[in-house]
Amino acid sequence: MSNPQKVEVKKQHCENHQKCMEMIQAVLDGSASPDEIEHFKSHIDECLPCIEGYELEKSIKEGLKNKIERKCCPQKTVDLLKVKIGVSLFILGFVVVEIKIIQLIFQS
Amino acid sequence: MEEDEEVLDIQPRYSKEEQYRIFDKEFMPHIDSMYNFAFRLTNDEDDSNDLLQDTYLKAFRFINSFQEGTNAKAWLFRILKNSFINDYRKKSKEPSKVDYQEVETVYNSSEDAEYESTVDLRTESVQDMIGDEVAMALNGLPVDFRTVIILCDIEGFTYEEMAKILDIPIGTVRSRLHRARNLLKDKLRSYAKTMGYKELR
Repeated sequence: MSNPQKVEVKKQHCENHQKCMEMIQAVLDGSASPDEIEHFKSHIDECLPCIEGYELEKSIKEGLKNKIERKCCPQKTVDLLKVKIGVSLFILGFVVVEIKIIQLIFQS
Repeated sequence: MEEDEEVLDIQPRYSKEEQYRIFDKEFMPHIDSMYNFAFRLTNDEDDSNDLLQDTYLKAFRFINSFQEGTNAKAWLFRILKNSFINDYRKKSKEPSKVDYQEVETVYNSSEDAEYESTVDLRTESVQDMIGDEVAMALNGLPVDFRTVIILCDIEGFTYEEMAKILDIPIGTVRSRLHRARNLLKDKLRSYAKTMGYKELR
């Protein structure tokens, strides 16, 4: 009581919430401009809907990144691909040689 | 474009050895991310395998249009995305195109609407969800919206990289992501209610 703290009054309503959320998402995605980052840092604490929006977006982003199973490519697909690449390289080489032969025939 | 690539193809800039080396060192390290992307687009393991192989074969065929040392992952993702649109999307049972105008109208109708529609989805509810529920919500999105979320949140591409992969302006990436996330929040809120998470105030 002897050391009264300054009470900050946060905005309960954001008059520009859609634009704010686009900016907040860009900040979380690491793709915001320097001006947006500066605006975000200086204003985020003032607006309750934006604070809640930031926390929610952050938790969804983390959930998508960390909770969804990442599928790995089956080894048999990798093996099959390497075989196909070997065959296609052979065909490509054959086609290039064939084109060069045709060019030589028409030049002579 | 196709013709240009064909011309490059018959006038190889890289030797055979270089082509193999680039393929192994620059393309193959991304095969798991590419497979995961293919699976999240098609929701089918067989289609993912086919789409992945088609993409890598195309990448090898047009390897001379790849500049060594540039962003191989973004280059490969772009080929996969185009292959999916051209060859696989037709087979898909879901609607092929999103009516962006309709979605935009819904979310632009009132600025308050967004806050009111998402405010009852709480951070704690999302944190309590398991991966399957988040994955189901993501899978429930139309493919164009699902794609931007996968690229951004799962694969960590920047807006600039996404713009190149999707061949759209950065501003469109940004607004499409915003709309995609609003739709995702709607899905997550439905799951939260169904599963009885503590989402309501």
